[in-house]
Amino acid sequence: MDQSEISQPVTDDVVLRRIERLQLNYISSIDEGPLDNWPHFFTDKCLYTVVSRDNFDRGMELGVMRFESVGMLIDRATATQHAAVFAPRIIRHLLGPTLVDDTGEGYRSRCNVAIYQTSPDGDTMLLMTAIYNDLIVEQDGVLKFKEKRVIYDTHRIPDSIVYPL
Amino acid sequence: MDGTQSSNNSETDIWSEAGTTRVPFQVYQDAEIYAQELEKIFYGSSWNYVGLECEVPNSGDFRRNFIGEREVLMIRKGDGALSVVENRCAHRGAQLCQTLSGNAGSAIMCPYHQWTYTLDGELTGMPFKRGINGKGGLNPDFDMKAHGLVALRVESLNGVVFASFDHDVPTLKEYLGPDMVKYFTRIFNGRGLRVVGYERQVIDCNWKLQMENLKDPYHAGILHLFLISFGLFRLDQESKCLVDDSKGHSVLMTNKGTEEGKEDTGGVKIAAPDFALTDHDLIQPRLEFGDNTTLSIQTLFPSIIIQAQCNTLATRQVIPKGPGSHELVWTFFGFKDDDDEMKNLRLRQANLMGSAGYVTLDDAEALEFSQVGLSGSSAGDAAVLEIGGTDCESNDHLVTESLIRGFYMKYRDIMGHGKAGA
Ligand code: FES
Ligand SMILES: [Fe+2]
Repeated sequence: MDQSEISQPVTDDVVLRRIERLQLNYISSIDEGPLDNWPHFFTDKCLYTVVSRDNFDRGMELGVMRFESVGMLIDRATATQHAAVFAPRIIRHLLGPTLVDDTGEGYRSRCNVAIYQTSPDGDTMLLMTAIYNDLIVEQDGVLKFKEKRVIYDTHRIPDSIVYPL
Repeated sequence: MDGTQSSNNSETDIWSEAGTTRVPFQVYQDAEIYAQELEKIFYGSSWNYVGLECEVPNSGDFRRNFIGEREVLMIRKGDGALSVVENRCAHRGAQLCQTLSGNAGSAIMCPYHQWTYTLDGELTGMPFKRGINGKGGLNPDFDMKAHGLVALRVESLNGVVFASFDHDVPTLKEYLGPDMVKYFTRIFNGRGLRVVGYERQVIDCNWKLQMENLKDPYHAGILHLFLISFGLFRLDQESKCLVDDSKGHSVLMTNKGTEEGKEDTGGVKIAAPDFALTDHDLIQPRLEFGDNTTLSIQTLFPSIIIQAQCNTLATRQVIPKGPGSHELVWTFFGFKDDDDEMKNLRLRQANLMGSAGYVTLDDAEALEFSQVGLSGSSAGDAAVLEIGGTDCESNDHLVTESLIRGFYMKYRDIMGHGKAGA
């Protein structure tokens, strides 16, 4: 996100495929579960935010979720599963192709995402369109998100956001 | 009028009794009742929240909003005062401003035929007013003064702006009454405000169900497993529920308990007992209003809620969208002089609130369950509101629905649905 980042487009297919796989595994932890796996896609200290483009463009950081550590992500996963009341639903993320730059600090990865939600009655609606703007680093041979910013266009959200995005 | 007996209006018949312990399900789904609510409540003698002064700091700044289903613009004028006008051109009705906020410069111009208005809404000119070569244009006796924008009455209280379509409405302070002003100015105490961010969400239930939810301390100690599990809200906490003299406004306040004592939950099933929270900041408020209150929810008739849960402060505006839906607009705010730690707390504690909030997620879901459940009900079916008795008085406990009963006293009064409480 930092404008001063000096970045080089990544063209190495192996790296690109690893990042694509990370993103697919990530959305699978939400769409297919179990949600307990979701926090472990992040580094211990991290930033996960879900911010509307409207706020973002106004320079406002307020997000519908904001977590700064794996612990906070575990809080969310646990609360969603054990301390929340909501109608069951199916979440489905559709990812576009990923643009990856090497910033020296990690890989800056951007991809479009559409998130659909299906109700218990079987109706599917578009929950939001968004962009993932991520900073990915390698830790002990595993790629993890140091930052994941979900910047969503749909700032009049048509329903509640139950699961992480 | 005296209850349903002397009623000459069929709508009054839907209330089965003089009080408000039975709320007929029609009021949540009947299109005709909804249309009357817009006219009599939102476009009538009420003060409606339109925004914060800090959202329009400079001359020409505007913020677009809704009162009922009518769009309005809150505008900062050249002299620093505020105006609120309807966002509808006096020519042929086009929407004037499309963005949620912006700067109109020194005049409002309609994009369709460029009729132009002052920031107060007075019509000042239009292209080809005199036609071309004496042909066409407006009749010379066209009364420009009579064709301005609909201008509303405006008042602001410590940076919070309200407007009314009724120019004869009592002053804002009279409308709120001294008790409500006292709790309002506990939060809005004159310190400069700043917007932390917005959230908007559509919830498919009648707007009144949303207002009821914030007047319903009973649910909060039952539904919100997250709050109960971490001691942020329990029905046995030191608390106050205040209903104003008009019965339409209310405030409820509690002081946080400890994280222990999970057994005092009145039989409510709580989250897994080994669920320990990592982020303690989420539930450790920094007291900032000179008292020990850690949760206060003020609801002002008809449709604005002022929330202070720990350090997450927000106005929640309820915008009706037909009988079965509403939009909830959260304006999270803080104070201009917040230090960095407080700025960070407000961002983090916002996890409790909003469309994905640990707390309010449950509410939005339960409200939709309500709307689904009551639709298709038969005439005569009604909600039962007898928790805490049948009156609409203030309480020093939370196991009560008296605030909701109060809301419907005022509602019946304005709607002409019999004389509530007679
Ligand atoms: S509708 Fe606005 S100028 Fe014609
Ligand atoms: Fe609630």
